[in-house]
Amino acid sequence: MKFDLAAFRPLRTGLVVVAALTVAGLALRPVESPAWESLRADQPALKLDSIQGALGQGVTVGLLGGFRAIVADFFWLKTNSVWGDNDLPATQTYVHLVTAIDPRPLYFWLNGSRMIAYDMPNWRIQAAGGYDAVPQSVQRKFDEEQSAVAVDYLKSGLGYHPDEPLLYIEIANVYLNRLKDNATAAEYYLKAAQQPDAPHYAARIYAELLRRLGRNREAYDWLKKTYAELPKGGDASFTALPDVVLERIRELEQELGIPESEAYQP
Amino acid sequence: MSSGTSSSSSRVGHTAGAAESGRVPFSFARLRLIAGNTFLEAVRQKLFNFLLLLAVALVASAQFFREFNFGSSELKFIADFGFGALVFFGSTLTIATTAQLFFSEIENRTALTLLAKPIWRSEFIFGKWLGVFAVVGVFCAVTIGLLLGLLFYRENALMNLHPEAFEAGRIVNYADILLVGVLQWLKFGVLTAIVLLIASFSNTNLYTVVTGFFVLVICHLQYLARDAYGNIDNLLVRLPVMLISYVFPNFQLFNLADHAAQGAGVEYDVAARVGLYGLAYIAVMGGLAVYSFRNREI
Repeated sequence: MKFDLAAFRPLRTGLVVVAALTVAGLALRPVESPAWESLRADQPALKLDSIQGALGQGVTVGLLGGFRAIVADFFWLKTNSVWGDNDLPATQTYVHLVTAIDPRPLYFWLNGSRMIAYDMPNWRIQAAGGYDAVPQSVQRKFDEEQSAVAVDYLKSGLGYHPDEPLLYIEIANVYLNRLKDNATAAEYYLKAAQQPDAPHYAARIYAELLRRLGRNREAYDWLKKTYAELPKGGDASFTALPDVVLERIRELEQELGIPESEAYQP
Repeated sequence: MSSGTSSSSSRVGHTAGAAESGRVPFSFARLRLIAGNTFLEAVRQKLFNFLLLLAVALVASAQFFREFNFGSSELKFIADFGFGALVFFGSTLTIATTAQLFFSEIENRTALTLLAKPIWRSEFIFGKWLGVFAVVGVFCAVTIGLLLGLLFYRENALMNLHPEAFEAGRIVNYADILLVGVLQWLKFGVLTAIVLLIASFSNTNLYTVVTGFFVLVICHLQYLARDAYGNIDNLLVRLPVMLISYVFPNFQLFNLADHAAQGAGVEYDVAARVGLYGLAYIAVMGGLAVYSFRNREI
């Protein structure tokens, strides 16, 4: 068989193209890297740990771009429609779909998790015969199962918004209100309070939970530290409520038996 | 290939070779002529007019959709919507128009006539690129212009309704939106060069369009390969992943729209780097398209 060199021309062309693109990629990396690091720092969706989540985001951002917002909004309307019908599987699916399409708005994460944690246990209890017919242990099981789904959902939200105090607060509320687990709720309120731009009430509720857990000394130290950092005047003091915090410090001093001479001096 | 076409292609190959061997110098005038012709052909296409009309209609109707802005502010929603129209229809227009205009020359045999004349293949390829780039430029200019107008109109209306929310001045940074529009245009320029590279060795329009869309998706996912290969221990897996991260450009880099829409501000040194990156890739992809096209029998 005669060896025909011309038959290999497409292969040679292909190899040259790949080699040239590799060289170009290497040469342009120093131009690309600083810009990419800067961009990625502001877009947590681009540094997701989950490869599946990152793949989904890459495709939706690439193909839908800004249309993600309107597509997600339409699916949010659909979510509300199936939620009104108490359709648990559909609601849970749509809630996840909406944030898969557009994970940026907190509104979807917060309201979606509330549907899962607060409404769905009731639907399941109703479907099983109602509150009178369903034993407390089964009701508790429904609460635990739905709360676990909601907490997982909110934790995936933290993948996109790692510094968002409202997501930590929402997780804390699920533990506090649905599972009556004050210790875990306190942990998440502490995380919320430690985030930049955290609402002032997160720190106050953390201290209150410490009191409920009987950890008065920790609550006292925490409130002293919090009070020192609170704005004492202007519009910000309306939400910071420094007077309320000081009042609680005084209450704790009484409960802890701290003498007046050692009392906190603001 | 028929004998007639064979003889044409050998003649074309000879003539083009003569042009490129130096007897006929490279001419920007000829390149401009090809670009002008490509531009005219493109704007006469129904696809261009249809996509432009659709994008314009969508951007203009953004304010009617503003009641849907569940998760974001109205102005951000409008900006998102406008950039959505720009990215989605711009990508479709770029891929479809480039492939269509390239293959119409091949299928109508006008490429044979054209390349039988003393014309460099680089003039042909870069002429096509420039023509499509200009068409996409018109699309971007119209879409961004409309978006800017709409944002300005709504911001003024909101300023009258809620002056307290605008005490610190305007929220929308119009220069940033314009800059993002220019960078998107540049991204479409890179995409045009990529589609021309694919077309230079492809046999059909459909194959080029489908492959063009796949490459678009891969370029948007390139950053995953870029981040992943450092963490892969298996050398056999690591090398291909590393190769992907170097072979394909990173299109997520051009995604500055989120910053502009949020009013977070675009860093100008980042924008300059992205611009340089885009221009370099246009040159590289275009050069490779010329190289591949020179090895092709028409």
